[in-house]
Formats: sequence, structure tokens, C-alpha cells
Amino acid sequence: MTAMTLTQSFVTALLQIVVLALFVFVAVPVIVFAERKVIGYVQLRLGYTRIAGGLHGVTGGLNRLMWWMGKLPFFSILRGFPSFIADGIKLFTKEDIVPEKADWWVFHFAPAISVVAAFTVLGIVSFSPAPLWTWPAAVPIVGGLPFAGVISDVNVGLLMLVGVASVGVYGIVLGGWASNSKYPLLGGLRSAAQIVSYEVPLTFSLLVPVVLSGTLNFTQMSQYLSGAPIQTSAGPAQMPALAILPLFIGFFIYLTCGFAETNRVPFDLPEAETELVAGFHTEYTGMKFGLFYLAEYANMIIVAAVAAAFFLGGHHFLPFGLQRFIPPSVPVVGGASFGWFLLWMALILFSYLWVRATLPRYRYDQLMHVGWKWLIPLSLANLCLAALVRYFA
Amino acid sequence: MFVFLEFLVFKTEEMEINLGPQHPSTHGVLRVKLRLDGETVVQCTPIIGYLHRGVEKICENKTWFQGQVWTDRMDYVAAVTNNLGWAEGVEKLFGIQVPRRAHYVRTLLAELNRIASHQLWLATHALDIGAMTVFLYCFRDREAILDIFEAFCGARLTTTAFRIGGLREDVPPGMDRMVRNFLKAFSTGIEEYETLLSENRIWKKRTVGVAKLQAKDAVALGITGPVLRAAGVPYDVRKAFPSAAYAEMDFQIATRPEADTYARYLVRLEEMRQSARIVQQCLDGLPEGPVMAKIPKILKSEVCEVYHSIEAPKGELGYYFVGEKGGANPYRMHVRAPSFVNLQALPKMTEGNLLADVIAAIGTLDVVLGEIDR
Amino acid sequence: MDTPENGTPTPEAPAAGPYVYDLAASPQRQVVLPKTAPLPSLKAYRAEVAAAQAADEAKWQKMLADFETAKAKAAEEGKPEPKAPVRPVPRKDDNDVKTPFPTEAADPDLHRLVELLADKVEEVFEQAGELVCQVRKECVLETLLLCRDDEQLKYDLLADETATHFPAARDFAFSVVYQLTSISRRKKLRIRILIPEGFEPDSAFPAYPTANWLEREIYDMLGIRFRQHPDMTRILCPEGWEGWPLRKEYPVVGLGQRDIDFREDRSGVLMRMAMEKAGQMGINLKVPKAD
Repeated sequence: MTAMTLTQSFVTALLQIVVLALFVFVAVPVIVFAERKVIGYVQLRLGYTRIAGGLHGVTGGLNRLMWWMGKLPFFSILRGFPSFIADGIKLFTKEDIVPEKADWWVFHFAPAISVVAAFTVLGIVSFSPAPLWTWPAAVPIVGGLPFAGVISDVNVGLLMLVGVASVGVYGIVLGGWASNSKYPLLGGLRSAAQIVSYEVPLTFSLLVPVVLSGTLNFTQMSQYLSGAPIQTSAGPAQMPALAILPLFIGFFIYLTCGFAETNRVPFDLPEAETELVAGFHTEYTGMKFGLFYLAEYANMIIVAAVAAAFFLGGHHFLPFGLQRFIPPSVPVVGGASFGWFLLWMALILFSYLWVRATLPRYRYDQLMHVGWKWLIPLSLANLCLAALVRYFA
Repeated sequence: MFVFLEFLVFKTEEMEINLGPQHPSTHGVLRVKLRLDGETVVQCTPIIGYLHRGVEKICENKTWFQGQVWTDRMDYVAAVTNNLGWAEGVEKLFGIQVPRRAHYVRTLLAELNRIASHQLWLATHALDIGAMTVFLYCFRDREAILDIFEAFCGARLTTTAFRIGGLREDVPPGMDRMVRNFLKAFSTGIEEYETLLSENRIWKKRTVGVAKLQAKDAVALGITGPVLRAAGVPYDVRKAFPSAAYAEMDFQIATRPEADTYARYLVRLEEMRQSARIVQQCLDGLPEGPVMAKIPKILKSEVCEVYHSIEAPKGELGYYFVGEKGGANPYRMHVRAPSFVNLQALPKMTEGNLLADVIAAIGTLDVVLGEIDR
Repeated sequence: MDTPENGTPTPEAPAAGPYVYDLAASPQRQVVLPKTAPLPSLKAYRAEVAAAQAADEAKWQKMLADFETAKAKAAEEGKPEPKAPVRPVPRKDDNDVKTPFPTEAADPDLHRLVELLADKVEEVFEQAGELVCQVRKECVLETLLLCRDDEQLKYDLLADETATHFPAARDFAFSVVYQLTSISRRKKLRIRILIPEGFEPDSAFPAYPTANWLEREIYDMLGIRFRQHPDMTRILCPEGWEGWPLRKEYPVVGLGQRDIDFREDRSGVLMRMAMEKAGQMGINLKVPKAD
């Protein structure tokens, strides 16, 4: 890599941030739309699987067009799209209501905390092994420089991820508290207890690949999972065959905790709509609610990205280190690429929706029971297993 | 002497919270005042009356025929059984003998409505506990029943299906096929609900041992219906005091000994199956003949009081009528609404449990506010 | 506020209260109070039947007497003898409607109750297949406990409890009925008491806890207070509601509509008047203005 001037590196990072933000702002609606479609198909909902919206009125023409296009095989994915658009418009144009007795500053900053924490974490996720593209020479300042698939490939990536992501809970707790209302307060408290409890097994399960490989870096971890030897500050490492066992167990612990961390079914207690109306964001309207919404889905992306990078194939085709059985010379499935990463993320995100359509919700004490009495011992044991594997390898 | 150390004591404060009247899972306008210690319910007080329309007063000013329309609006998810109670109560007061065919058709529709009501209960109860998919599956199957009602009387929800003395019309052609199709679809539908819930670990965790109500307390509190049967008491008005064509039907009373939410779920599922059996028997054994007794255009009562009860989906639905001499309308009409009586058990079922169990308890009692407030 | 108004209202002048609308202002909406107190009773039914028979007989005797005089007159005037009268039979109705009448108590449960309670029982009979036992108003709780605990009765479920207002009756104002069910014996029984205005019967709560809400509803709707009840408050109507809706003198039309026909209210003037009137009654119908 050629040495960059300060200006160049600053502008490169800025451009990467803008692209990433755009990516999230596009990805979140896509996930929301996908969620509605998937759940619509699972639950036989008509709105997102059959119809396109009202055929009369202002948007009638557009809807008619979509309806006709929906008859074609591929475009049938557009069924339900108008009502999705309408949802977005509604979110942006709703009146912004602040409860009279709310703590004004905290009430306004709580959604921002959530969103900032989520977006900051995305900055260290390595989406692609190789630069996505190189800026043409004609572009001022950054001309000729590569556009990397990660904004900041920090050595202690995972540590930073866990640390910053746990700031996000403040947004929820403070939002619940600042609303000065009982349901949000209960929701915020539940959320605090839940996220703090599940952070422990989550981190323990994330430590498994770390212990095995000796690195906290996303790119190196991806290489390690593909079976290639890596050079870390703790010395050289290559994945032993037995490592698949702790990785496999750790993945499921991680996924369970990931569901809990992002407040998704079956752990959606902080916003259990049938108990706490809407939980911590009961009093939030309009785009402030939208920010919470955005943060939740951004967190889902993070959980999916981390699961992909640390347990599944990362930038490779096969998960849990099985990639070693495919020589790198095989075209497409043998190599590392951005596409595989996105695929794994998409699969994890799909599992979110699938679980949501299938399972009921835990009760608060049962949630704690599962967290403290099952997941933490299990993840600790799994960590010991990983340490043994590493020791004997 | 150690007063200055008081700040070391961890003080807690009880929180009062109003669940409803506008709340997603209070099934209408039920308001439950809760005192919470953390998430534990210390005190639970149901407050009702937000939907009070004075049905009893209104019915006293309507004729014996007109009052039936108001019964639709009480338990609006089981309008046909409400109609059945009204019609049979009035017939008892006037000593009207209803033709056998009308009895069969009434039984058929009432049992279909029981299935529909239980499906709606399962849908909302599962949604309260967080299982969203069952909700839509149940509504999909319930649609067929509403179509049958529509074919029979033109209305889907507020049916006013029967007339004093029998039925206004015989069953329409093609209804037989509709009901048979429904029964076929229902037998697979109920398998789907069971697949999603019966052995689901989270569902069992949320329901087994939750909101217990033992048989002794249930009887003392006047609880009837599936809630009582799930406590092991085999009391079913259809068997104990059979009316309509129930005496000729072959069906079992579903009971469970556990007295918890899961037992009530199983009891209601079994009841749906038994109702489907009754519907099948009604279809197969539908007798020929007239569907309407000979009754005058205007009914004028003698001095008489009757209390007639039937087994509504929620429990014992009773109508108490007082007729005056020459009265074209009831002198007094009172409804023993099962939901109203059953809701009394809510504090007993929830106090000492968690907030989430209150939601499960409201769901498992299967209350309909239109019937509670009348 | 909780004590009901004293004295049974007469049909001419309903008991004064804010819920009784101005009869003079809207005469078409008068409350028509019942003229009779339709309380089924074997004694009353027998008296009625006897009276009807006597009247029938008297009519027949009068017809016979008329015939005799007519015959004598005809014989006097030499005209042909008039036709002998035929005793009229009741016209046969081809409808299937025959209201069941009260019959003698035949059920062993009723005999058992009479045996146990002796003179505390005022009346027992059966009607429409239902067992009715009317007891003295002071011993209702005793009766209920007996019905619940007696080995031969075992009425373990209080299905329903309700009351009826009889403004036209002279020596009582309300009947309170308890519908008992025996789950094990598959039997139903109705206990009935007659109470005057202002009398507070014992609550059935000690015998059947389900009476809690049922009695609150009776209090809410008819203004009957129960002694020893754990929580004698309104249940369906809001706190502070005026009047007892299921009493016969309570109008059917709602608050604010009593004097005004809104179908004729084109300009909204009447609506404003109604709001003012409601405001005078302490009810705020106005839409709160935004600050």
C-alpha cells in the first residue's frame, strides 16, 4: 500500500463512511421489506404476498402498474411494495410528539445514542477481503487509491465491537427513562437487564474463535476460518480440524444471544407489544422512533456480520473452517469475496425472520433463567473446550 | 440509634400501572389496575364498564323478537350461541315446541360458532404470548365458518340466526357442501396449530403451571366453561342440561386435571374437535320436516319467569326472563354472561405472578368485553 | 349518594332526581311505569284461576238467567221459544304457544328445603320445569349456606344472581333471585326473596364468592345494597353516576338527549344547549381545547 497523506486518508475514510451509511440506509429498508415478505409468505398474509396497494386514488396508477408487473415471475417481488413505501412516508411525516413531562435532552439524545453506537460498530466490520474498487486517477485527492471493504481494520476489532455495541443499551434505557411513562420505564429496565445478561455469554462465545486463532481482527479471522495459516501477534496459527466443534457450539450460543441483544423474538421483551404496548419507545413518534428502528436493524446487520466473520465462512463459501476442503484454485467457491459475506449475512438475517414467525416470547424470569443458568455455563464450557483444542493443536 | 444508616437499606416502591382500557392485549376495553413490585403483581383489580350499553334495559323495551338482535352485540365472536340462548329461553317461557330439524340446524350452527370462537381465542391468546403465525392460520380457517354463516343468514358476525319457534328459512342449498369442506380443511388446520404450539418449548414454558385455578376455587367463583373443565370438573351445560339437539349427539366433555393455562389450551383444542364431531353428526342425521313452529305474529306472555342456560364457548350463558301478563316485551331480561363471572378469577390467578402472566391469564380466560359490559 | 331514595315512586310522579327528565318538556318520551307486578306465584296463579272460573261461572249463570227471562217473556208474548244457550268453550288456538303455569312442588329438593327451613319458606312451586323456593328476606344467607352444604342438596355453583324492580307492587319493591346449580346432581334451583325499598339483604358472598360482582352489578343497576359485601361499589356505570338504570322509572333515552331531538338540529344550537345542560349536571361534554 502506498503511503497516503493525511488529507488522502481522511477523505478516503470519509468516502467510505458515506458509502457505508448509504449501504445501511438502503439495507435497512430492504431488510424491513424482506421481513414483511418472508413473514407474509409464512403467515399467509395477503398484504405483502398478493396485493400491491389501493388501485384508486393518487397512487392508484403506480399501484396498477406494479400489480400488472407483479404478474411476471420476477416482479412478483414487488407485491406489497407500495404499502412499504407508504410506511416510510408515514414514518417521516408523522408529528413529532414530546411528552410534556419528559426529560427533553435525554429524550432527544437517546435515539441518537443507539444509532451512533450501531453505526460506529459497522465501521470496523470487514465486508470484503479485497478493495471493492480503485478510484480512477481523474478523481481529485483520492485518485488511484483503493476503496477498501473495511473502514478501519483495527487490530482489536472484536474488542472495540463489544465495547461500543454495549453503549447502545444506554439509548434504550435512557429513552425508556426519559419518556416519564410507566411502560417505557419497564421496557427500559427489562432491556438493561436483558442486554447486560446476554452480553456475557455473547462475549464468551465470541472468545472461542479468538482463543483458537489468537486474533481480534476481522480480516485475519476470515483467513483463519478458511484454513490458511495466519500470523498474529500471539504467534502463527492455523485452524485444527477439531476446532469445528467449539465453533459450531459457539455459533448457536452466539446466535441466541444475538437475538437477545437486538431485542428480537423470542427475546423481544423490552418492546413486547402485548405486554408493554411498545416498550421503551412507546412515547416516541415519527423519526425519533425511526432512529430506534434503524438502530435495531443496524444491530441486526452487525450481529449477522459478526456471525459471518467469526463463525461462518467469513469471506468464504463454507462455514466453520470447512473451506479447507475446497482448494483456493476452484473458481468462485474456492476464493474469498464480498458476495459470500453478504450471502452469509443474508442467511443469518433470514433466520431472524424465520424465528420471528415461529416462536412465542419468553417471560422475563425465563429469559434470565435461560441466560444465566444455561447460556453462561454452556459458553464457559465451550470456551474451555476451545482452549483445550488450541492447547493440543 | 442506627437511623443514620437508613440510607444503606435498599428501598423499593410499588408501582401502579393501568393495563388498558387502551392496550393491545386486553381484548377490547378491559382495564386492569396493577400494583407491581418490580415485575411481580402485588394486586390486580379488573375495572370494567367501558362498553356498557345497557342491553338489559334496551331489551326490556323491545319485543320478544327484537331483543335477539341485541344478543349479537354481546359476545360478538359467538353471536350464534347468544341467539340460541335467547331463542330457547323465550321458547321456554312461551312453552313453544321447536321442530326437530330446526334443533339440528341450530346445533350445527352453534357448534360451528364454538369452533370459530375458540379459533379466535387461540389466535389472540397465541398472539398475546408472542406466537404471531397461529393468529393468521386461525383467522384463515375461521373465514370459512363466517362464509357458512353468511350463506345461512346473510350476516357474518352479527347473525341473528334464529327465530322464536325455529328458523326463518331452511338451510340454503350448497351449505351442506360448504360445511363438509370446512370440516375437511379444519382437520388439517388444527394439526397446524398443534404443530406450532403443543410441543413448542417456549409455549409450554409460558403456559404450563401459569395462572392456576384449582377446581374448588373455580366452583366457588362460579367459573364455567373450558376454564372449569381444565380444572377437572366435567360440567358442561350441553351434557348436564341438554337443549337443542345435544341430547341426541355423541360427544365427550374435554377435561384436564392440571388447571393451568396449558390445560385450558388443550381443553379448548379438544372441544374444537368434539364440536367438529357434533357438526358432522348434525349433517349426517339432519331430519326432514318443517323448521318453524306455529307461533302468533305477536307474542303476549303470561306471568312467568325462566332462567335458561346454554353452553356458550366461554361458559354457561344464562338468560333470565320475567314476563308480565299480556306483555309483548320482557318485563325484565338479565344475562348471565360467562365472561363477566369468569373475569372475577383474574386477581386470584395473577397475584404473586409476573406481569407477563397477567396477559396470559386474560387470554386464557377468553373474555369478550361486549359480553362483560353488556 | 349511595342510599336509595325513600318510598316507592308512584306512576304519577316518579321519584325526584336529576336523571328524571322534564316530563312537561317532552311528553312523548314519558316513562310508562308498569301497572302490574308480574311475580309468578302458585298462590296468585290459583287465585287467578279461581277468579277466572268464578267469573266464567257467573257469566254462564247470567246467560242462563237471561235465557229464563227471555223464555218467560216469549211464553208471555206467545212467541216461539228462544234457543237454549250453549256454554262457551275457550276458543281453540292453533298456535304452539302455551306459557307454562306454576304447579305444585313435586321435586324432593323443594320438600327437603321446606323440611329444613320450615316456616322460613314462604312459597315453593315449579314452573317451566324450574324449581322455585321463595324464602323470607332475612334468611337468604342461611338458605344459601344450607343449599350449598346439605348432603341431599349440594348446590355448589351460584350460576346467577339478579333482581327485578316491581314499582307497582304494594308490599315489596324488588325480587332478588339466586340461580343455583348442582354440578354433581345436575339440578337447578331458584331461591327468591322479596324485599322492600331500602332493605339490605345479606350478601351471598360468604356462601358463594362469585356473588361479589353479581351483587355489585345489582347495586349498580337497581340500587340494592347488600350487607357484609366486601366492596359495595358501582361496577358497570362510572363512579358517581346518578340513578339506578334498571329501575322502571329510569328513562331509556340517554343523557343530553332527553329533551332534545337531534334529528331536527340543523344549526347545532340544540347540541350546544345539550352541552350546557350536561355541564349543569356536572358532565363535561366539551372537547378540550388545545393550549
